[in-house]
Amino acid sequence: MRVGLLVTCLVDLMRPRIGFAALELLEAAGCTVIVPEQQTCCGQPAWNNGDRANAARLAKKLITEFEGCEYLVAPSGSCADHVRHGYPRILADEPTWQARAQALAAKTHELADFLVRIACLQKMPGNFAGRITYHDSCSGLRGLGVKEQPRALLQKLPALELVEMRGAEECCGFGGTFSVKFGAVSAAIAERKCHQAQALGVDAIVGGDLGCLLNIEGKLRRMGDAQTKVMHFAEVLTAKD
Amino acid sequence: MESRAHRFRRNIAEALANPVLQANLSKAKGKFVEKRAQAIQELDDFEATREAAREIRDRVLANLDLWLETFEANARARGATVLWAKDGNEVSRLVVEIAKRHGVKKVVKSKSMLSEEAGLNQALLAAGIEPVETDLGEYILQINGYEPPSHIIAPVVHKSLDEIADLFARTHRTPRKTEIAALTREARQVLREHFLTAEMGVTGGNFLIAETGSVALVTNEGNGRMVTTLPRVHVAITGIEKIVPTLEDLSTLMRLLPRSATGQSISNYVSVLTGTKNPAELDGPEHLYFILVDNGRTRLLGSDYQPMLRCIRCGACMNHCPVYQTIGGQAYGWVYPGPMGSVLTPLLLGLEKAHDLPYAATLCNQCGVVCPVKIPLPELLRNLREEADKRRLRPWRERLALRAWAWIALRPSLYALASRLLVRYLAWLAEGRGGISVLAAAPGWTMGRNFPAPEGETFRTRYRMRKRGP
Amino acid sequence: MSKEQILAEIRRRLRRPQESLQAAQAALEEALQQKVRGPMPALPPDAQGLRERFLAQAERHASCCERIASIEVAPWAVRRFLDARGLPRRAVIWPSLAELDWQGAGVEVAARAAQDADLVGITACFCAIAETGSLMLCSSPQTPATVSLLPPTHIALVPASRIVATMEDAWQLARAELGMLPRAVNFVSGPSRTGDIEQTIVLGAHGPAHVHLLLIESA
Repeated sequence: MRVGLLVTCLVDLMRPRIGFAALELLEAAGCTVIVPEQQTCCGQPAWNNGDRANAARLAKKLITEFEGCEYLVAPSGSCADHVRHGYPRILADEPTWQARAQALAAKTHELADFLVRIACLQKMPGNFAGRITYHDSCSGLRGLGVKEQPRALLQKLPALELVEMRGAEECCGFGGTFSVKFGAVSAAIAERKCHQAQALGVDAIVGGDLGCLLNIEGKLRRMGDAQTKVMHFAEVLTAKD
Repeated sequence: MESRAHRFRRNIAEALANPVLQANLSKAKGKFVEKRAQAIQELDDFEATREAAREIRDRVLANLDLWLETFEANARARGATVLWAKDGNEVSRLVVEIAKRHGVKKVVKSKSMLSEEAGLNQALLAAGIEPVETDLGEYILQINGYEPPSHIIAPVVHKSLDEIADLFARTHRTPRKTEIAALTREARQVLREHFLTAEMGVTGGNFLIAETGSVALVTNEGNGRMVTTLPRVHVAITGIEKIVPTLEDLSTLMRLLPRSATGQSISNYVSVLTGTKNPAELDGPEHLYFILVDNGRTRLLGSDYQPMLRCIRCGACMNHCPVYQTIGGQAYGWVYPGPMGSVLTPLLLGLEKAHDLPYAATLCNQCGVVCPVKIPLPELLRNLREEADKRRLRPWRERLALRAWAWIALRPSLYALASRLLVRYLAWLAEGRGGISVLAAAPGWTMGRNFPAPEGETFRTRYRMRKRGP
Repeated sequence: MSKEQILAEIRRRLRRPQESLQAAQAALEEALQQKVRGPMPALPPDAQGLRERFLAQAERHASCCERIASIEVAPWAVRRFLDARGLPRRAVIWPSLAELDWQGAGVEVAARAAQDADLVGITACFCAIAETGSLMLCSSPQTPATVSLLPPTHIALVPASRIVATMEDAWQLARAELGMLPRAVNFVSGPSRTGDIEQTIVLGAHGPAHVHLLLIESA
């Protein structure tokens, strides 16, 4: 399977290791991974802030880069959801482009969803040991139905203990530019999320969207918690001691 | 009601800085959420019921004029008077006129959000007529100097028992009571007197039934029944969109409204009221008026925002909203808080008066998922953002930053360079500390949390190096 | 006139072509005729099952339920209930219930609309709904609405034969038996309550604090 990896702008900038972990997982599942070098951002910030023109330009750019692949996979429910559901809507007024958007949307997957449902990855490359809880990111969960997939993968690690926190499905307060525009509200929401996870005494809070993870990590550290790790599930699945 | 939505940011800051409010909000959070989750389990097919409800609401909106005319004809056939109001001022004028015509000195009110839109209480007071709110929550707000509500079905969800105990002792000049049951009893006694002496009852309407010309009222306390049974005159004020075709359609919606609102399978009292009292009847009002109100609603018809008119005012969207849970309802500045308010307030009052509201959402879509009539709230919020951007209502810095970022993101080589520089800058800021505690470019972020340090180089750079080989 | 302006504005916004107006009108008439029902939860198909469902749901709403053999013994059941509660043997009743032998049971009744001082109100019901455990009360000269509302205690006689499955069935029964809707249809599901203060449920907000159902098995 020729899989195009949408690294996502945040991973590119902040956590390249998540990109490499995704690469490793896809290769472990037997995929040929292509990483289009011209990729930048899927354009969701433009769309969510009402800049339709630039959202459309960035959508077309990404479609061109990825439509040659059999699948588009992103280590982010948010970006995958934007390609899957946002693009056809953004390009609704341009029939040719909309058709191309729909074609790409149909083969776009969030990483865990792809590994479980399409690539059927059985054996995880890593051997992470510890107690974790999983935060369901909003777009992945409510936009793409990503709920059981990352849990199924994580539970294949024999030394990993997964415990559920209260309100795992509640938003962490990130919300893209919301986190900057309404920083105080965003941080207050993140605090609730952190408390729910801390109540379980976990070694790591794990999720599938870097935006949420940065938000949670930033809040934990500000709260003085230097212990609890915050990790992408791809990092967990590939971690080796 | 005068809007404070334009000063939303200040409202938020005040809400976050108010420890009593914060304590009350965290206490309230989750109760409605858990009850709703249980209650929808009882429906064999919640999603099918939801889809049926959406269909009913859309069917009405598609031919709203015809349904309104049908409702009016059937209501009049049963002796009701049907009046129409373009805006809040006209609502107030009509209600005052009706009150004067019937020699009314006191009006008992059951909860009506439209009367809040219209500022009806102030209009009645100005005309020398005493309004008395009879929903316990609304009554508490009234005796606290007409404080604005913070929730459409639980108006004092932001208040603690302590605050209410003080307020009752002060207002009723009674010994301070600390038990909720005792406070409720005290309110019952005070309000019973008003029910018995008021000449007119004013209510909203949860639904108008076109088939029969009736209004459906849903309450738990029984105040809705009181104000529509004891006074001589009943005035029901509703938005023009509240129509449902038949009693069967009402039954479908009633499977969803209480479950979505309070997590009840049914509210204690569902009253379907039709026409005036028959002369042989021993109780009931002699005069029934409907006031059908536009107040900006027609503007939504035929637009991208038409789905908002499906709203049945259950409050599920706010109960599930992380932002609402954090700032409470009053911060939104007008009658309707939470996601539905962030859509409705700019649409009814004008986007220029409330353009911060659509941005006050993480677009987590919890609201869209729980909405019993499937209003795509995040999509409507995003539409409003697009409109605000197009109309240049947003600060120029914000627009410029967004455009500059997009301009760079469309140019891969430039983007690669810019991101490499940015990563180095961030790494330098964070040096040795694992995180950045003050980020000048995004003070909003670092006000309440650290900005984690970047790993080092961008993925792009590393990937290229790796491909080139060691 | 506001009415004409609002309707004109609705028509302008809906942009419904003239030729589809008739179709829309016809669809509206059809909807009013057909009275299509939405999805309903599965309920027991038999009378016994509906009765049990009704009682279980009514108890969930904090109504008390008691089974009695026939309507004739209702006044005695009322007396027993009043005695057990320490209430005076006095009540306001629906005029439609005046024929029962209240005097024989030693309960002093007034058949009229309720007043503030009444402690107990006794009604029957038009029908009862198994799905939600609700009573359907219809107002009329014989069945004033205040009797189930003002007194702190409401006693309702519920003939088992009048338990229907859903609200939809209740409307169908009302159309068949009453023709048009009475002034007030009240669906009552337990004592009045409020959760306004700290979402703590308190019974007896403005209406009754106690609802006692007498299920009449033979009727």
